[in-house]
Amino acid sequence: MSWIDIGALGDVPVRGARLVKTHAGCIALFRTTETEIFATSNTCAHKGGPLSEGIVHDRKVTCPLHNWVWSLETGEAQGADQGRIATYPVRIEDGRILIDGDAIDRRSAA
Amino acid sequence: MDTVLEATKTFVEVAEIWVPEEGRLVLSGGVYGAHGTFAHASHDESFAKGEGLPGKAWAEARPVVLKQFDGSYFKRTEAAKEAGLTSAVAVPVFAGSKLKAVLVILCADDATRTGAIEVWAEADGILTLDDGYYGAASHFEWVSQHTQFPRGQGLPGGVWASNTPILMRDLGSGYRFVRSESAGRAGLTTGLGLPVPVPGGTTYVLTLLSAKGTPIARRFEIWDARAARTGPRETARLTDGICEREGPLWDPENAGKERVAHVWEGPVGRVLGTGLPVVETGAAAGGYAMMVGLPIHRGGELAHVVAWYC
Amino acid sequence: MERLVVIGAGMASGRLLEHLFEAAPGRFEVTLFNAEPRGNYNRIMLSPVLSGEKSYAEIVTHDDDWYAAHGVTCRFGERVQHIDRDRKVVTGATGDVPYDRLVIATGSDPFIIPCPGHDLDGVISYRDLDDTNRMIDQPPGTRAVVIGGGLLGLEAAAGLRLRGMEVTVLHLSGHLMDRQLDPAAGYLLRADLERRGISVMTQASTSRIRGEGRVEAVELEDGTILPADLVVMAVGIRPSVKLAQASGLTVGRAIEVDAQMRTSDPNVFAVGECVEFAGQLFGLVAPLYDQAKVLAATLLDEPAAFTPKQLSTKLKVTGCDLFSAGDFSDGQGREDIVFRDPARGIYKRLVVADDRLVGAVMYGDTADGNWFFGLIRDETDIAEMRETLIFGPAYQGGSVQDPLAAVAALPADAEICGCNGVCKGRIIEAIEGGATDLGAVRGATKASASCGTCTGLVEQVLAATLGDAFTITAAQPVCGCTDLSHEDVRRLIKSRELKSQPAVWQELGWRTPNGCHVCRPAVNFYLLADWPLEYHDDPQSRFVNERKHANIQKDGTFSVVPRMWGGITSASELRAIADAAEKYDVPTVKVTGGQRIDLLGVKGEDLPAIWADLNAAGLVSGHAYSKGLRTVKTCVGTDHCRFGTQDSTGLGIRLEKRLWGSWTPHKVKLAVSGCPRNCAEATCKDVGIVCVDSGYEIGVGGAAGMDVREVERLAKVATEDETVEWTVAFVQLYREHAKYLDRPYKWLAKVGLDWVIDTLSDPATRSALVERFDLSQTIYQTDPWAQHTARETARSFAPIADLTLEAAE
Repeated sequence: MSWIDIGALGDVPVRGARLVKTHAGCIALFRTTETEIFATSNTCAHKGGPLSEGIVHDRKVTCPLHNWVWSLETGEAQGADQGRIATYPVRIEDGRILIDGDAIDRRSAA
Repeated sequence: MDTVLEATKTFVEVAEIWVPEEGRLVLSGGVYGAHGTFAHASHDESFAKGEGLPGKAWAEARPVVLKQFDGSYFKRTEAAKEAGLTSAVAVPVFAGSKLKAVLVILCADDATRTGAIEVWAEADGILTLDDGYYGAASHFEWVSQHTQFPRGQGLPGGVWASNTPILMRDLGSGYRFVRSESAGRAGLTTGLGLPVPVPGGTTYVLTLLSAKGTPIARRFEIWDARAARTGPRETARLTDGICEREGPLWDPENAGKERVAHVWEGPVGRVLGTGLPVVETGAAAGGYAMMVGLPIHRGGELAHVVAWYC
Repeated sequence: MERLVVIGAGMASGRLLEHLFEAAPGRFEVTLFNAEPRGNYNRIMLSPVLSGEKSYAEIVTHDDDWYAAHGVTCRFGERVQHIDRDRKVVTGATGDVPYDRLVIATGSDPFIIPCPGHDLDGVISYRDLDDTNRMIDQPPGTRAVVIGGGLLGLEAAAGLRLRGMEVTVLHLSGHLMDRQLDPAAGYLLRADLERRGISVMTQASTSRIRGEGRVEAVELEDGTILPADLVVMAVGIRPSVKLAQASGLTVGRAIEVDAQMRTSDPNVFAVGECVEFAGQLFGLVAPLYDQAKVLAATLLDEPAAFTPKQLSTKLKVTGCDLFSAGDFSDGQGREDIVFRDPARGIYKRLVVADDRLVGAVMYGDTADGNWFFGLIRDETDIAEMRETLIFGPAYQGGSVQDPLAAVAALPADAEICGCNGVCKGRIIEAIEGGATDLGAVRGATKASASCGTCTGLVEQVLAATLGDAFTITAAQPVCGCTDLSHEDVRRLIKSRELKSQPAVWQELGWRTPNGCHVCRPAVNFYLLADWPLEYHDDPQSRFVNERKHANIQKDGTFSVVPRMWGGITSASELRAIADAAEKYDVPTVKVTGGQRIDLLGVKGEDLPAIWADLNAAGLVSGHAYSKGLRTVKTCVGTDHCRFGTQDSTGLGIRLEKRLWGSWTPHKVKLAVSGCPRNCAEATCKDVGIVCVDSGYEIGVGGAAGMDVREVERLAKVATEDETVEWTVAFVQLYREHAKYLDRPYKWLAKVGLDWVIDTLSDPATRSALVERFDLSQTIYQTDPWAQHTARETARSFAPIADLTLEAAE
């Protein structure tokens, strides 16, 4: 894995999100609690809604366009809906957010 | 085990327990020391709701202090006079709206005995002295009558705010105890405060303030019996305590290694099992002349047991 | 005998000596230095000494007799000045002491915030007996400010309060003990402390301490000034490493040691809070005792290795039952198990990862704390008991969360019916007096007899009192997080005075840690509508349009609508709009039905810039995205029209200037027509005003969407002032009572227009509503565009990082 520093934890509001632009498309960073962060594709698999604009609750996000709910951990659609969004390894170190660059490269190559 | 400690005079002479039976309060146990005649008079007695001191505590659902027997509602005045007993405090024990028992404590006046048994009541968001018995500590009595406690302040306010019995040390030193200056002069050292739950939700706090020369107790214990603290098995943990002989009784490591009392084992275990107060003497009281174990219920369930030994 | 010198007589070195003297009596000749003028005492029990619940004598671990019995040379009150590792000599104030082996146990120093005034008299830390005694020496009535809402700060606060002081706790983070607790448990702890008369301020940052020589007040970043006679700094500790550093030992954040507690010098060891092992520091007593045991073995030349373990935390405040263990907020692949019992003030949360329990937080019921802690420490596989885990080891069939718990927990004086002022106690009396159905309770108490919003709650009181004898008509719950309806939640927020989201989650027994996309926006609105001063709007509980202050379009771009008061604009405004449309490549510019101009297709990251340009031209947000006042549409009225009866444009502008910026349950649209010809289409608006010769007809509850409705008359008034008063009062009543996402016409259908007219016909009620509306506007009538164009927030609209650029470099 190659960990890339993408910013300070404090730059993402709790129960909020920020975007990261990559070759594999936009990735959304979600901060679910003071010390917990997730990264998934920003694009809703339903009709392409920007997930970083959705409401973050528990370890899930609700798409702002049609209220599809996604698990930030597994990337799976919740409830009756079917589908999956990409998730990316991300971790926190000394208040900085690190994302796995290899995982992004694999996706952009694919 | 030595049965009697130093020959100091104790503050409390008699403790007795009255329990409801077919609509009247009957004696279920008592420690009378040398007062055989008074014991005899008590065994033949019973009280209807509202009758005598125990009946009054029941009917009015509050702790009652009585400092003058003559011409009062007290029924055993003659026998008490003969025994030299001059004052009494009755504490009702309620579990929810049900009366479990009434604990009665009797004291004898003289010029040297100091200590305090106080009843504090809440009115308009503040605790004021309802009444108290102070023995010879008259200055402290005056100070107490002119002291009020907001939530969380001092021993009574702390008991009120935490809804938990509290044991305080060194009442006379520093500002630890809000009335410390006067308490120091009166020689008061250790204070036990406990909530007295009654139906209707009025807050009453009972405090026992003990002096070195004429102690209310030589050993105090606070047991936590809440299932939420000890688990659903019927046990209690000794969360705080101090003893003239053994020193501190609490767990110095603060690591959950407190002493544990099991239901039906010993006097504290009996309180756990029955939810009723106990009074004991001699071997059953761990060698002390008098042991009182008092249950405190919360929401109808036993929450704490306080015990004092003299 | 081997000469052992120990620097620092704290709990770790004390335990070390106990081990050494027990295992090898007579083997060591010990010299013990201590900067404090006393020997080892149980430092973690200083809090009960402060509160008066313990005496210092009770917490002395080693007294003079003990040191004498073990032949320890005590150099108490003497600071070590120098360590000469080449000569193996320690220099104290009264001379040198040679050693064969040396133990450094200097512990830690309190961290003092270096703000102006930190060195004033009356500012103290909370670390040792001297600090404790200085606090004890303050008289009752002292105003004490405790900086730091962690374990130590809260214990100090409770102790000071018990001693009769007026205590305020300042905490930087959003909830107390944020390292050990989650927001829900932090909320319960705060409520508990407030019941003790302690004031708690969170998100409070100290900027300076004021005073002439002696502390007089604490000033916060937001300008608040708190008068103070005593300031206790309890914000944290720093390992005390100066001596080790000066003697050339390897020091990182603290003195670095290996698993045998050996420093970079093989004859020098360190133990306690001054050590760093594998990058970790240690502050709680359990690992320090483990270290002492390992170091004793090392000094006795026995094999042993220190391994840090999971820790649990308890707060030593009598009657405060909380427990926290493990790690409940970090990492991925985790699942929460939450249990709340509002009636008993209980909150429990377990965090599970890979069939292992990794964290536990408990408040109110901590009986199973040690059992959970054991599961965490031993990494027990809990797959088999996962479903019942939260009920603890004694689970026997288990209790399920009771849907009536929130109502059962209400005190007797909680107001159930706001219209008629009926408390729960009265309703129970009526039920016990024989009123066993809704109609009978209504008859006996008038509860739910007016607007009817509290019907659900009255039914729940019936069910909680009568048990199975009463069946509730199933009301629609807000969402899967709760069984309560919107109306129930609104009523309970008012009657229980719930003023934060964690308070709602806990007291109303929410099943999820922090709600979902359905309930959170609703609860956020209810809280800000009912408690405008106490509650702070939470942007993360808002739908994207209200967070970005623009309308999201189906392709993820946004539309921007500047406000045009009453539909009136000017050449310069139009020019600014045209310029912005060109500059930001706006593909579509459209005139809206509400007499505004809509710029469609703006990119999210351009929003702050386009607002800045429009702001500069005097334009503010039109709130075309909000559950709030949208537009007031007008006709030209008496200014230009030959039929106009009143100044409809002027009234429209006046109303819009009064109402803009207010949040409402759903969008609110107004119109003012100058005559009954109704060119402004006022009769299909939420509030529509039609001017006539004799005054103003105010209609409410119109709609022109999926439902089409004509307004019904609320009132006819003679003056423009009265029109404004009635309109504002109506909007405020709607804000206070309606279900989130009910337009006024839907709300009116539920409560009845008659009730609204009755309520608003009372002049006192009307003016109280206006007053509450204006109070709320002092907070919320701000232009979000102006706020958001501030540089700091503008940044948050851009991506946090752009890896496409980095890769290209």
